[in-house]
Amino acid sequence: MTQEVITVCNSSIAIGDKKIVKNINFTIGAGEFVGIIGPNGAGKSTLLRSLRGFLPLAEGEIQLQGHSITVMSDKELACKVAYMQQEVNVGFGYTGLEVVLAGRYPYLKWWQHEQAEDIEIAYKYMGFTGVDSLAEKPVQSMSGGEKQRVLLAKVLAQETPILFLDEPTASLDVIYQEEIFRYCQLIAKQGKTVLIVAHDLKLAAKFCSRLILLADGGIVADGAPEGVITEGNLQEAYGLHAAVFKNKVTGNLDIHTYVPAIDKQSKETRVHVICGGGSGAKIIRLLYEHSYSLTVGVLDPSDTDAHIAEAFQVPCVLSQPFSIIDKLAAQENRTQIAQADWVVLSNLACGEQNIDNLHAAFEAKKLIIIEDTPIEERDFVKGQGIEIYYKLLKIPQVTVMTSMEFIEKFYL
Amino acid sequence: MITRNLKKPQRIRAKKTWQIMSVMIILLFGMMVFSVSWGTMQVPWKDTLGIIVGHIPLIGLDFPDISAEYQAVVWQIRVPRVLVGVLVGAALSISGAVMQGVFGNPLADPGIIGVSSGAAFGAVVAISLGLTSISMFMTPIFALLGAIIAVSLTVFLSMSRGKIPVMTLLLSGVAVSMLMGAFTSAILTLLDENRAREYLFWMVGGLDYRRWEHVYLAAGPILIGVVILCLLARHLNILALGEQEAKSVGVPVVALRMLLLFVAALTTAMAVCVSGTIGFVGLIVPHIMRMMVGPEHRWLLPSSALAGALFLVFCDTIGRMIIPPNEIRVGIMTALMGAPYFLYLLRKAQQNGEAL
Repeated sequence: MTQEVITVCNSSIAIGDKKIVKNINFTIGAGEFVGIIGPNGAGKSTLLRSLRGFLPLAEGEIQLQGHSITVMSDKELACKVAYMQQEVNVGFGYTGLEVVLAGRYPYLKWWQHEQAEDIEIAYKYMGFTGVDSLAEKPVQSMSGGEKQRVLLAKVLAQETPILFLDEPTASLDVIYQEEIFRYCQLIAKQGKTVLIVAHDLKLAAKFCSRLILLADGGIVADGAPEGVITEGNLQEAYGLHAAVFKNKVTGNLDIHTYVPAIDKQSKETRVHVICGGGSGAKIIRLLYEHSYSLTVGVLDPSDTDAHIAEAFQVPCVLSQPFSIIDKLAAQENRTQIAQADWVVLSNLACGEQNIDNLHAAFEAKKLIIIEDTPIEERDFVKGQGIEIYYKLLKIPQVTVMTSMEFIEKFYL
Repeated sequence: MITRNLKKPQRIRAKKTWQIMSVMIILLFGMMVFSVSWGTMQVPWKDTLGIIVGHIPLIGLDFPDISAEYQAVVWQIRVPRVLVGVLVGAALSISGAVMQGVFGNPLADPGIIGVSSGAAFGAVVAISLGLTSISMFMTPIFALLGAIIAVSLTVFLSMSRGKIPVMTLLLSGVAVSMLMGAFTSAILTLLDENRAREYLFWMVGGLDYRRWEHVYLAAGPILIGVVILCLLARHLNILALGEQEAKSVGVPVVALRMLLLFVAALTTAMAVCVSGTIGFVGLIVPHIMRMMVGPEHRWLLPSSALAGALFLVFCDTIGRMIIPPNEIRVGIMTALMGAPYFLYLLRKAQQNGEAL
């Protein structure tokens, strides 16, 4: 563990008689980039404000670099912590430079003016956040992204070992949101301690080195993003049903949220989905969110549908990579189909590798065939697929519909 | 090389501000000389200059060929009038600029925390008690006391747990103003006609019959106020960014706000007590100067003081020129010239889709 920069001991914060934050403990070291996350009203901003000494503690103690914040003067605190607040309205047409220079205030005696050195420091950090060309532009007429970068330059110009940012990315476009996080990550790498209150879980998980999840004034989880952003924690903090998985495209932690349909019957209903090549994506998602007991197969391990099944932790029969479905997989598939109350055959393409999936479909007790495009366009085994498909259509337990019709069934 | 380039925009702005201020100083001096020379009795400007220079101590120049009549009119009547105008204009403008910074609102002026209504109340008390016959200073002194009481009441009412929320301060300012206004009206209805006229005369601010005594009374406090406010300008810059911003860089917000409010209120009260209430100067002059020199208070405050002085002497002179030998009082002139211009600014800002 590196040097402890922020220590919070049994701290509670009350506004009026209402305790907003209760009995919180944590320590943060130098170079950490900590995201404070949690639902609205969890006490995130309140916690950050009292860490800076804006709100008195009802109980406990907060230390910054080993000194209790209650014994530090306004200026001493301002030399230790820079604080970027949620919404800043800069009126009167102050220019970018004038706002950034405000960050030098704690270093000046009351009669002093900003020295050449201060102006150089201001320009240095405006250069860092890419707004040095806006030095003479009134902040009022800047875009949201420019304004936040100017304000970030301001807190950096304060040259403090600790930075607090209270939702700096609210009301920003996606690119600027990422940008602010990226700057913070860079600052933390330079050895400063950065605390950010964030509402975007994905961004926080992507950039922060550590997350503290607050709910109802207490800490639900604290640690590395992978350990904090889990189905269980999100459920506890947000009351949110979510699937957490690693996004194969971006490599980042991703969260799929949904409102679960609470239907007892569907939980006891087993459904097997035969799909491939992404044709089953929507179906799996829909059935999962409606809490059916799902199985999927047979899929190539690299298939998109296989990734989706993995994300939702749905049991999935996999074949050998890029091979024709082997006996073992085919057998398991048939077992699943036999156990399923009904089977969905997606609008999949038939190739040599997966033609067995069509054969297996005959075993279904009840079969729903999704047909968005004619089989003739989806057959890549010289008519063999077409032949089996038409046979399938003739068995009595089959219903044919388009995927739109299938989806509508769940929402009517 | 690089560092020199970096500082360039700052220097350009400072240079521009100096230019604007130099022009204003020259204009102000010209205006003062013109204002002193012009009137029912026209004094040649050379004689005016001569009389003024003759009175500067240590130079000891004497211009014996200037008539005693000219001497009396210029030195005893017109010079003090113009000097009071300069002091009052500077005081009202700089206080207006400070209030706007403290409240973070370009429409704030010292009247908003009860200065004017308190002063009016004090004046009406002095007049109703017949104290004006004892000394001509009674009205100003009571006006000053009234203003101090009103401002203290406003600040006291809005203070809670060592904090002064801006919104509460504004609201209690409105409440205190109304209360003072009610007292003033109540007393007015009981006054006889002569005293009511006397009050009205004081109420519509004017510079007529201002004598050296008024200059002596107001000069010290107003000049001290202007200097203190200018010294606090850098702190006001930070405060004007917003309370939270100021706190987070270590500004003692409550103490600074109190100090600024009281100095600005006292400076205004001094002005009001020698000239009566003069509207629009504290609102419009800082507004125009902000457009010319920017929001940086280290430049805005001194240039507002200068511009306010210039504006008030200008309005007073125009007021004397329109229907001689009668004159339109300066309080009416500032409103007559200020209100339309302000509406024009408002319209323009609206058309450009900006907030004022």
